[in-house]
Amino acid sequence: MPIYLYIDRGTFVHRLHPTVKVFSLFIMFWSVYWVDNPVALLPIGLVMLWIAQLTDSWPNFYRLRWLFAILVFTTTIAWMVFYRRGAVLVNIPVFHVSRLSLVFGLGRGIKLAELLAASVLFLSTTKIEEFTYGLQRMRVPYRVSFAISLSFRLVPLFIDSAVTIVDAQRLRGYDFNQGGPLERVRRYVPVVIPVFMGALRKANNMAMALEARGFGYIHEPTTFIEYPVTAADIAAFAFLIGLGTLYFMLYWTGIGRIGPLK
Amino acid sequence: MKTDEQIVSDVSVNRDEHAVSVQGVTFTYHGADRPALRAVSLVQNAGEMIGVMGASGAGKSTFAKCLNRIIPEFEDGDFHGAISIAGESIEHLRVCDLAPKVGMVFQDFESQLFSTNVAHEVAFAMEQVGMERAEMDRRIMPALEAVGLRGFAHRDPMSLSGGEKQRLAIASVLALRPSVIVLDEPTTDLDPEGRAEVFELIRKLRGQGLSLIVIEHESEELRAADRIVVLREGEVSADGPPSEVFARTELLTACGVRPPGLGRALELLGIDAQPKSVEQAYEVIVRAYPSVAGTTYDSIARSRVPEAQKAADNAIAGPAFIEIENLSYSYAGGPRVLDSIDLKVEAGEFLAIVGQNGSGKTTLAKHVVGLLHPATGRIMIDGKDPTQMRPAETAREVAYVFQNPDHQIFAATVEDEVAFGPRNFGLDADEIRRRCDEALEAVGLQNERQSDPFLLSKGERQRLAVASVLVLRPRMLILDEPTTGLDHREQLRMMGLVRDLNRSGIAIVIITHTPWLVAEYARRVVLMRKGAKIFDGGVREFFMQEELLRSSSFRAPEITELSRRFGTLALTTDEFVGWVKGRS
Repeated sequence: MPIYLYIDRGTFVHRLHPTVKVFSLFIMFWSVYWVDNPVALLPIGLVMLWIAQLTDSWPNFYRLRWLFAILVFTTTIAWMVFYRRGAVLVNIPVFHVSRLSLVFGLGRGIKLAELLAASVLFLSTTKIEEFTYGLQRMRVPYRVSFAISLSFRLVPLFIDSAVTIVDAQRLRGYDFNQGGPLERVRRYVPVVIPVFMGALRKANNMAMALEARGFGYIHEPTTFIEYPVTAADIAAFAFLIGLGTLYFMLYWTGIGRIGPLK
Repeated sequence: MKTDEQIVSDVSVNRDEHAVSVQGVTFTYHGADRPALRAVSLVQNAGEMIGVMGASGAGKSTFAKCLNRIIPEFEDGDFHGAISIAGESIEHLRVCDLAPKVGMVFQDFESQLFSTNVAHEVAFAMEQVGMERAEMDRRIMPALEAVGLRGFAHRDPMSLSGGEKQRLAIASVLALRPSVIVLDEPTTDLDPEGRAEVFELIRKLRGQGLSLIVIEHESEELRAADRIVVLREGEVSADGPPSEVFARTELLTACGVRPPGLGRALELLGIDAQPKSVEQAYEVIVRAYPSVAGTTYDSIARSRVPEAQKAADNAIAGPAFIEIENLSYSYAGGPRVLDSIDLKVEAGEFLAIVGQNGSGKTTLAKHVVGLLHPATGRIMIDGKDPTQMRPAETAREVAYVFQNPDHQIFAATVEDEVAFGPRNFGLDADEIRRRCDEALEAVGLQNERQSDPFLLSKGERQRLAVASVLVLRPRMLILDEPTTGLDHREQLRMMGLVRDLNRSGIAIVIITHTPWLVAEYARRVVLMRKGAKIFDGGVREFFMQEELLRSSSFRAPEITELSRRFGTLALTTDEFVGWVKGRS
């Protein structure tokens, strides 16, 4: 099973200039940030679904389907505990089940799911070299941009290693599901330590290998791949500016807030 | 477009020049009580290939890292001595400054690939040194052709096999055209096919006049070197042509190096020669013992395995313990990784499972211990269905030692690490202590009870991993590549432990790529290919299947190949020598 999210396709989204891709991630986050109302979050959600269809990214969404479901479900439930506004619809101890808390919780859940979806789309269509290049063009120093993009490559490796470690400890009779929430967190110590040690070792090996390949030889390395700016990039850039402006206006006018649903 | 011959013609090879000069290098790691390298001096002429051997901790990797200043730049410690590359001192240079002069290929191939595209991976180092795009374009294809990866330019490096990844790492080093390439145990984590690919490439580069320093455990692979340097406790114990160094079997053994099987056989037969191949060994033996000649290569098909050996091969120690019927499995959305497997493992058996990476060996083992559940078919452990048992319950019947011991070690002391399992089963303190004593004694770590597990050697950590499952007193032990990354001495110790456990009645299943381990320790072999079991039988019978071995990229040990030339089949050097002396 592939441990990385990048899906190699030749769609126009894949071919967009790296700077436009990094900018699109920023605009998605920006847009989702300004609104709380589930109805207002719907259009950008539809845009993401459209891009997922265009870029053939469904396998990644399928792999993460449970994460999406858990995000929406647990966030909705959690806000029914903390968001105590509106007329109570059903009396359940601890929970404040009102139309307002439901809508607010659902909005927060969708928001988190959309942030995740934006990241999945970005990683499904962007190579780490493009990520580095895009960040560099946005004036992020090479060392920093390379480190950021490399970390995206390392996370799946660490997850893979953590899964193996969990298996190894289970085979020694360890039950990760004993006790209350805090105890369960504490029970992950036999996983965290080997993952951490492995991560340190890998990071050290990688740092040696990087310098042995000349990393740091000059301040701004040259690039092998050319990324010409095309008409599609300009169109995508204009679309993203429009989308970002629209969502800011939704916030500014109050349409994107929960208020009108009172 | 350049051919692979042309790529190295750009590297000026003047055999009178020193590619590397190391003078009196001593390095002590911060906090260590003795130097990792002591006054090492060595000169490598341009175009020379040097093989560096020695036990774990002898200083091989430390030596390699000094050559491009990873030591002392990355490691705290006390460094003395002088090193120059192509006549230029490297004292004031950074590691990255040396990239165009010294190419370094590491053991961990996953940690040295940074790109999502093979061509870009080759370009990476050239980008770092500021090369123009047009020049990069000119160099990429020749480098890929030189390592046999033509046509792979647009592949994702992560989709390559281990051997291909390591060849890609070499290509990315070659593209910078350094004057010397250092390969630090480049094939340790590879299957036999990957090893063969990498050593074939090393031989080719050596033939083209590149200066190479190759650190390796297996002496057979370094016969083509110009010189062999053996390190022992940081000092040079031997330095000379392979024919001289490999003839000193006592010294090699003392240094934790496995002497080449062919040389050892000739020594035991009283023949003073260091053969470079099975063919040469055959010829010198025939000259010294004419009476063993006459059997032909083809006669192997007619050769008969002695009855006593056959009986030992087929010995079944007890009733069926594991029964697997028609087992198939696919990971989500992937192709079948196990295809209709039928297998029985008897109690007390010693079984080796072999096959290329990705052939399904580990997936099969994970089914047996209950980490995976069959998509179709069934598994029974001593009549019980493991899908109805929690992995913890299965652990009392079948224990699994992962390939990397660091995937389970977390405790502050060796004793706590071993006690972790029994504590999970709720055993009382006395029983836990008793079992820990027993397990630590079995693996020879009884004096390390209070040691920090992370400070143990790889071999000790591997034995600790065995102790930490042995303490649960399982009836079967599955060991996934138990000798990977260990030196010969540690390998012998590890396998001696495994054999003792087997003799005490524990069934053993080892997953391995190492032919001599199979030949010397296992009694039965299962060969897997693309998820299917394609051979299941005695070890001797397995090594007789020449065509099967070839098509599975699995080699018989050289001594077995040599015995086949005489029309018999010996699994060990002693067995072969006994056969020759018996015939003469």
